[in-house]
Amino acid sequence: MLPFKSKYPTSTPKVDQGIKVRGEAKYTDDIVMPGMLFAKTVRSSIAHGEILSIQKPKLPEGYYWVDHKDIKGENVVNIIFSDWPVFAEKKVNFIGEPIALIVGPNKGELDRLVNEVKIEYKEETPVFDFTESYIHKAFTKGDIASAKKKAVKVIEEEFSTGYQEQAYLEPQGLLVYYDEEHRVTCVGSVQCPWYVHRAVVRACAIPTEKVRVIQPAVGGAFGGKEHYPSLLAAQLATAMLKINKPIKMCFERPEDITFTTKRHPSKSKYIAYVDKDNNILGMDVQVKLNGGAYKGCSGVVLSRALIACVNVYNIPALNVAGDVYMTNTVPTAAFRGFGSPQTIFASEMFIHHVAKDLGVDPLELRMKYLVKEGDITTNSGKFHDPIILPALIEKAMEMSDYKRKIKEYSKPGCNKGIGMSFFLHGCGFTGSGESDIIKGKVKLIKDEKDIVHVYASSVDMGQGNKTTLKRIVAKNLDIPNEQVVFDNPDTSIIPDSGPTAASRTIIIVGFLMEKAAKNLKKIWKSGVRQEHIEPYVGPSYIKWDEETMQGDAYPSYAWGVNVVEVEFDPITYQIETKGVWSTYDVGRVVDERIAVGQADGGIVQGLGYGYMETMRCEKGRFRQRSLSDYIVPTAEDIPHMETAFIDNPFIYGADGAKGMGELTLVGGAPAIALAIENAIGKKVNDIPCNPEYIMELMKNGKN
Amino acid sequence: MAKIKFTLNHKKLEVEVDPSRRLLDFIREDMHLSGTKEGCGEGSCGACVVLMDGYSVNSCLIPMANVEGHEIITIDEFKNTKEFEVLYAAFSEEGGSQCGFCTPGMIIASQSLLSHNPHPSEEEIRAGLAGNLCRCTGYQAIIQAVKLASEIGGNLWDKK
Amino acid sequence: MGQKIIARTLSEAIEALAKYDCNIVAGGSDIMLQKRNTAGELPRFEKDVLFIANIEELHKEYVDEEGLHIGATMTLEEILRHELTPNVLKDCLKELASVNIRHFATLPGNIANASPAGDTIVVDILLDAKLKLTSIRGVRYVSAEDFVQGVRKIDLAKDELIEEIIFPKYDFDKLIWFKVGSRKAESISKLAFAAAYKLDGEKIASIRLAFGSVFMKAIRSHELEKELEGMSLKELGSRVEEFTEKYGKVISPIDDQRSTKSYRLEVTKNIVRDFLTTLAKGGN
Repeated sequence: MLPFKSKYPTSTPKVDQGIKVRGEAKYTDDIVMPGMLFAKTVRSSIAHGEILSIQKPKLPEGYYWVDHKDIKGENVVNIIFSDWPVFAEKKVNFIGEPIALIVGPNKGELDRLVNEVKIEYKEETPVFDFTESYIHKAFTKGDIASAKKKAVKVIEEEFSTGYQEQAYLEPQGLLVYYDEEHRVTCVGSVQCPWYVHRAVVRACAIPTEKVRVIQPAVGGAFGGKEHYPSLLAAQLATAMLKINKPIKMCFERPEDITFTTKRHPSKSKYIAYVDKDNNILGMDVQVKLNGGAYKGCSGVVLSRALIACVNVYNIPALNVAGDVYMTNTVPTAAFRGFGSPQTIFASEMFIHHVAKDLGVDPLELRMKYLVKEGDITTNSGKFHDPIILPALIEKAMEMSDYKRKIKEYSKPGCNKGIGMSFFLHGCGFTGSGESDIIKGKVKLIKDEKDIVHVYASSVDMGQGNKTTLKRIVAKNLDIPNEQVVFDNPDTSIIPDSGPTAASRTIIIVGFLMEKAAKNLKKIWKSGVRQEHIEPYVGPSYIKWDEETMQGDAYPSYAWGVNVVEVEFDPITYQIETKGVWSTYDVGRVVDERIAVGQADGGIVQGLGYGYMETMRCEKGRFRQRSLSDYIVPTAEDIPHMETAFIDNPFIYGADGAKGMGELTLVGGAPAIALAIENAIGKKVNDIPCNPEYIMELMKNGKN
Repeated sequence: MAKIKFTLNHKKLEVEVDPSRRLLDFIREDMHLSGTKEGCGEGSCGACVVLMDGYSVNSCLIPMANVEGHEIITIDEFKNTKEFEVLYAAFSEEGGSQCGFCTPGMIIASQSLLSHNPHPSEEEIRAGLAGNLCRCTGYQAIIQAVKLASEIGGNLWDKK
Repeated sequence: MGQKIIARTLSEAIEALAKYDCNIVAGGSDIMLQKRNTAGELPRFEKDVLFIANIEELHKEYVDEEGLHIGATMTLEEILRHELTPNVLKDCLKELASVNIRHFATLPGNIANASPAGDTIVVDILLDAKLKLTSIRGVRYVSAEDFVQGVRKIDLAKDELIEEIIFPKYDFDKLIWFKVGSRKAESISKLAFAAAYKLDGEKIASIRLAFGSVFMKAIRSHELEKELEGMSLKELGSRVEEFTEKYGKVISPIDDQRSTKSYRLEVTKNIVRDFLTTLAKGGN
């Protein structure tokens, strides 16, 4: 019994707090196997070219060289678009591209050997700018031609966003060995066990039942461990098949920062067509993403960026186009928000700037175009569910005293600012992807002692789903939490309930759990082993055409409002965050403690993205290579934050819940950028809005 | 190699070790204590902090030579204390651990803070934990947990 | 090479230095990182190594007629908490690295590392600190300003050890520490500024300005300080812009992973301008 009254009386104690707080949770690098070898990657030192020759060092006894010639299956990493080789063969396309592994018992020796490898290249001219589009998508809404024709004012602006590094505290790592049934077994810091499983099957050409993926404790992921571990698994499984010994590869931080996937940098152009009464008739939106050397999942990231490109606003006519560009840089991939933070930043800034240029109150203009239930979406689908955004806005303004402050801070020279972002996030996979492509399943097994075992591929990498999914099952079976067991995923026993991504765990997997539990309850027989498999059936009214990008982009949307207050130092151009207030509609909150944790963590990543986290790539090489150079917020950079949820249950979500993992990140950057804009009196068009950029704005920025 | 005498988790040790070996490697590899984590290897993240004579230090930067004559406590032993129980209750209440990778370091840093400042202000807690990065919680739950621990711990951390 | 010596006394340390060519490790926070190998492997020291953290006789801070002495094995946090430590140094230490690092890092370590971004060096040169360098040959004193010669270049003979840092007595009305980092804690300076002055009525009796992270080493301009000394505040008020520009020419910042040349130059000038403007109005 706690010696105090809990402020979360309805929350369930988090199931993993004990082992984590005591330091007993085993992460990949904590796992040691007898006879285990280590691996180190031989990487390309040039951004683009052909490998002419490789001079391998003389390998001591017990050391091995593993490269593309050892691959038994296909030399590709199984990602949505599989163009990334497991090992480069002839061509290298970015600095750091893996060419081979050296495997052996001593890490220091491996380092030495890797440094001794001499590779002769025929260098080719690398591409670093937005010139070579390799993915293009476009769609329209309404009658954009007539909007253009009727417009009396045309307002055009450009925006850019930078790289963002996931900076999970536990670097990437994976261990591969043969289990007792001679299965190629991968234990690693992964978000999506089945992605890893399929990557190994494909690269190694072994039957699916001969591969097994087990998830240990995962020290944060944020998208960074969605696809990248598939590369590591394919490499290490290839090595293990050759060497027949357990092999572990855990990245050191500099290697992780320098060579693993990050958020896509973007450039976008927005054009608004406005009539004489200051009505926005339509917009042209062009979005460019830097995809790096390989496409991977960038097509889907672009989709999400485009779908979110006018955010929460119902703009009557749209002409939207986007491209992902090939550059000879580290491939970019998933990161919490998945394309939407880029365009939600741009669209929030743009509508403010349009209002300023028109001389109208930004808040009034935004409220005028706010989407409502039944409205046509950006992609000509329909907002099917109730939208309570005005209530969220009202509440956030009240919590933060926004109306008074915005007026007060807009006076020149006060060096304070407040900004408010509105935003949405589509939950789950695009369109009807959940029903048609992912087809997730969960399994419940009740044993003879009436203990219910939950089988799902959802990974708890900190977001708390071991607690929440278990709670959903227990609640719907009407049994105590202790009677439910939910171990870390192991693909030898779990069905594929889909990846742990896209804010889908609670809304999709949780919904499945709820149905499974209800169905198990119906057939419940005490003392008997029972099994129930529940396949996903989504709302039938969701229709989506991937080709034309028309229809219902997501099964549902979660909504949010962030208000951020800052102080500006005109001498150093530094920004200090003084207050953060957030309101969210995530359907119905499953567990308040966990939801607040997601909200706090998400917005801090969003704020970091907006004003602090700076990563520059120069000629294919990152300037920031450590956690002292790639700056993420510390405890001293963040003020006390307040969060409120407004209940708005969703009928296809677990107990009314929608997704929330990504939602909490996407509003942070525009909120702080708007606050900075308010404080400095200059338009902010780029993030990170760091002091160096603010200095430029103070000199040359537009009012 | 040199003989280093020190106390690790209340056990007196005399070990034959290279004096330049990192304390972190000694703890994790030689002593097989995996509660102390390596997040960056350069003293930035704080996942590796242990108590040295009651003060939090980055074990990834401390050579074994420098622990000579000192008392080292890692999470693996600290978890058996009354102070830990209070911190654990407070972290659980607030949800102070998400992915958990920073957590042992946060607990050690919290102990170091509270043992020298039993009733810190929010500002002092933030400063005391500023050497420990967390990418999940936005720090709020952790800050509140330390505050709560200092409240419910009564005079536990006051100098005896 | 290959010797690794743990010194327990000063004489053990200087004897070892006389015999071997050593890297000296005090707290280790800088050098253990510079020599870092892959996890689990020994750091890559190319020389012999002398560990001095266990020298108890250097673990002290005291005042005598010469000034304040801070021994080589005092940790930054101990210095920060010590009643004798000048506030300007405390202000600097509070923002240096993190509390965890300060629990074992030392002042001589920060100086001998000779990074252009070494914060404490800025305070050292501001206060005309000198270093007591001890070797088997005897003792030598060198000013902190001369000790650091450039990026990672120091005036330390192979057999010498920084035994202590001595801050001479000073007489100022005000001392200022100002750091610009990329975040509020745990940040390596983009630039740093320290200043001290004493007024004699409406005149500047003495003045010092020191800068960090904007030149190959921490820097002061004795020439400009001489020009300012004796100047009336009224005159200063009319020449703020001139001196701001002059100070802008003293420094020579670069682009790196933490900031840009133009930011460092402009913000340093802003800080100087602000400082001089305030001073011209009588300070505070």
